[in-house]
Amino acid sequence: MATTVITPEAGEISETSLNNKQEQAAPIREQPARKEWTATQRVAFRIAFIFFIIMCIPVTGEWWNNLVTINWFHLHYRDLYDIARFSPSIYKFQNPAYNLLGYIDWVEALVIGIAGGLIWTAADKKNKQYHNLYYWLRVVVRYRAGIGIIGFGFTKLFPVQMPYPSLGVLNAHFGDLTAQKIYWLSVGIVPWYQVFAGVVELAAGTMLFFRKTTTFGAILLLGALGDITYVNFAYDGGVHVYASYFVLFSAFLLWYDAVPVYNLIVKERFTVPPVLIPVFTQKWLKVTRVVLKTGTIGIFLVWLYYLQYVNFKYDPYKQPSTSGVKQLRGNYNVTEFKLNGQDIPYSPLDSVRWQGVTFEKWSSLTFNVNKPLNLDLSNGGGAAMRDINRNFELTGVAGGKRVFYYDADTVNKVLYLQDKLPEAGKRKGRRDNGGGGDKTGNGKIAKSFIPAEVQKNIRNEVTAIDPAAQSTRRKRGVPQELKDKRKRAHMILNYTADATGAHIVLAGKDDKKNDVYIVLDRVNRQYALTDSKLVAGKY
Amino acid sequence: MSTLTTNQTKWKGYEKAAFRFFFIYFVLQALPLDWKYFGNLFRIQWGSLSFGDIFYISRYTPQFVSGSTTPGTWGIGTLADWALLAGIALIGAIVWSLSDKKSENYNKLYYWLRVILRYRLAIGIIAYGFIKFFPMQSPLPSISNLNTSYGDFNRWKLFSLSLGIVPGYESFLGLVEIIVGLLLLFRKTTTFGAVIILIFTGNVFISNIAYDGGEALYALYLISIALILTAYDALRIYNLVALRKPTAPNTVKISLSGQWRASRLVLKSLFIFFFVFLYGYKTYAAYHYDIYQYPKAKGLAGAAGLYNVSDFRINSKQLPYSQTDTNRWNDVVFEKWNTISIGSLKRFKADTSVTEEISRNNDDRKYELDGTTGRAYYSYVADTVKHVLLLKNRNSNYKADQFSLNYARSANGTIVLKGVDHNRDSVYAQLDKVNKKYLLQEAKQGRSKALKL
Repeated sequence: MATTVITPEAGEISETSLNNKQEQAAPIREQPARKEWTATQRVAFRIAFIFFIIMCIPVTGEWWNNLVTINWFHLHYRDLYDIARFSPSIYKFQNPAYNLLGYIDWVEALVIGIAGGLIWTAADKKNKQYHNLYYWLRVVVRYRAGIGIIGFGFTKLFPVQMPYPSLGVLNAHFGDLTAQKIYWLSVGIVPWYQVFAGVVELAAGTMLFFRKTTTFGAILLLGALGDITYVNFAYDGGVHVYASYFVLFSAFLLWYDAVPVYNLIVKERFTVPPVLIPVFTQKWLKVTRVVLKTGTIGIFLVWLYYLQYVNFKYDPYKQPSTSGVKQLRGNYNVTEFKLNGQDIPYSPLDSVRWQGVTFEKWSSLTFNVNKPLNLDLSNGGGAAMRDINRNFELTGVAGGKRVFYYDADTVNKVLYLQDKLPEAGKRKGRRDNGGGGDKTGNGKIAKSFIPAEVQKNIRNEVTAIDPAAQSTRRKRGVPQELKDKRKRAHMILNYTADATGAHIVLAGKDDKKNDVYIVLDRVNRQYALTDSKLVAGKY
Repeated sequence: MSTLTTNQTKWKGYEKAAFRFFFIYFVLQALPLDWKYFGNLFRIQWGSLSFGDIFYISRYTPQFVSGSTTPGTWGIGTLADWALLAGIALIGAIVWSLSDKKSENYNKLYYWLRVILRYRLAIGIIAYGFIKFFPMQSPLPSISNLNTSYGDFNRWKLFSLSLGIVPGYESFLGLVEIIVGLLLLFRKTTTFGAVIILIFTGNVFISNIAYDGGEALYALYLISIALILTAYDALRIYNLVALRKPTAPNTVKISLSGQWRASRLVLKSLFIFFFVFLYGYKTYAAYHYDIYQYPKAKGLAGAAGLYNVSDFRINSKQLPYSQTDTNRWNDVVFEKWNTISIGSLKRFKADTSVTEEISRNNDDRKYELDGTTGRAYYSYVADTVKHVLLLKNRNSNYKADQFSLNYARSANGTIVLKGVDHNRDSVYAQLDKVNKKYLLQEAKQGRSKALKL
């Protein structure tokens, strides 16, 4: 195998079809594809080489563990997504100030790069250029960036990354949301725009798989992810490091053409571009290349497309995947509210009486109380399998909103409700509280407050989802998350409702063991915001 | 004036034919030839020129068919305009082709077409750049907006509010537009500017479609110009970057001599002064003294904030808190300017404007109520001697809704309003100030800290 650097010969130049055929031979002032590099270029390259390799190669145990435990016959989109989504994780300091807004790993990679590059410089006196290595470094970066951005792109192409607001969020006041929430919602309300953003990311990623289109893909990637990086800083989105990871890669890829294009367009000079093209002589190398490239495209473009489609259709990862009781859906006024037998009249200032109740199309009940509550300010992401851990509808939302997940015993008409926000204390310092069973559990499934004899009337969480969306990840994930030991407030409420669910009576014990009796009447709330026909999930 | 080329290229027949069409089409699109436009121009009071005037000058699109007299109304009629211009260009190109058998190329004309389009596009993009750079296009949300449910806004308003909460990001977007506009003012950097516009304004175009904005066609107009400008170097760049072949640069240059040279310098300087420096200064001044989206008139001193309506009576009958009574006021907001908004269960027909409009007149500055059905918005004039507020519904669908209220303020911030409303009902409302904490502001310290609110 060899990478040839083709320096165009004089004959080739005159043959080249140009806009102006009768071009008088302009002097070639510069040979961009010089055979030899300057000493500075060589040192810079050695450092850059080590730095970018560290940035591109997954080293965490978590990543490898995911890779080897994947069941390729029952894939979940997240299996492939997790392969695509990694960034260097070398060493994080306890004191957040030292982590440089999360960029500490980059700095560490650079330090290693500089050290390694200097050692390499001392050891290697022979090589005067690294055309070969440069080519292959570009290949590594191209594929790393391409695969990574495609992983992200598909969650937008099938709009699930930023879900359409739930009823509870539609009813929340604008000022009671975090900036992060507002930004994500602003994309969530226009699913077709999210699709467009996905197309852009996928196009950029796909173009990086091909040498000829790499530069154009890199320009697109730089534009899109440059904006996303800024957005993440502006709205405190939290993924600025990962977004700028792609900015760094696209800038590196553009470096190759920056000077030639500048010379051609701004300086208006006749320009000979550097050409790095590998020449494969052995047959097995040719075959390997085709297999690897086809494999990458097959897995990350074709297979992931299918898996993400299934996810969108039956299991949108940021919202609960299974449906709630069909009868109980919509916005409700609390017509009557009795606490331990005592009637409490409606007042917007009351701190115990429920207000603005919603039953979502999935198994969530929300209501407002007029008192300060602990908030979850995370971005509601993660890879939770259990619906109770999918908390996008409550993260970044204030205004006294409580969100309860419920298991419904539809035989005896009882709702077993659990607060989707675990009680404070154990939550501290955890950024991702989705599916955290493995972190807080001690191996045993937490004892349920739902009586065993009732369990048979409650649908099985694992199989409640559409069979097409079943996966090994779900089968493993649900029991794993059931080991979660974090405490959650819970309520047990009987419900009686008329056939349409317009009038509901809830009676039972609330989370403070009070007797409650609540009469709900559905209101047909008209929103100025129009929704889209493109909706994720099957409820 | 002379054209300098290192080679007199011969264009192919179809190249010449295509050029004749595009030349006529884009000249008609870019040069202000629409008499209605001049009508607007003559109405400008040059003595007290505002940035809004320059903004509207920048926003020219020919409207021969659609016949809109206010610049910045784009719709189906715009497409008819474009079709008309294309028709004229087609006929013109045919006549031109028949009469001109001699020309080998149109290098010189192509150069001047590019000049026209570069400046046209630069103005367009810089005009929007400055009103973002000084974050006014999407201002910070009003108190009323903060106390409106998310679902009570339409898409376009939510798009604007979402940008408005991050002035720094809005400035950044404006800066990108300004820099791109400046790149277009120089021949050698034009291609870079045009490519960035394709990406940036391409996104604006899609956003306008997705969020039901009204400027999709204007964005498309700017994109079409950027496409023509990009096309000039596109083949060269493709040749160099994708095919990796040695590539010759553009060699057509116009060299001006004598007075031509001097006039070029003067014209260019004037242009830059007017559309960059003067406009930039005027937007800066507006940002500091008068953000055009909100009324300029001051509100009742020290009253701004959210109030709960603790006691409400109509015709002396007390209405208790209710989740169903649409007559009862639930809360009231006093803005820093002369607006109060009333929150109730009543829903209103929204006043909706989807294009960017800049008005000197307070009554026409409707950003606060634009695209929302959630609250009733009244402007008021306060007689601070007699303690009377003259209220006028700001929504153009409820123009007749005008009445006056007496107000009494107590030391603890409570305000009592009394009077007869538009329906001849006597109204009594006691407003208690709520010290509302907004998560939007409280979470500014970062989301990683625990917060109870």
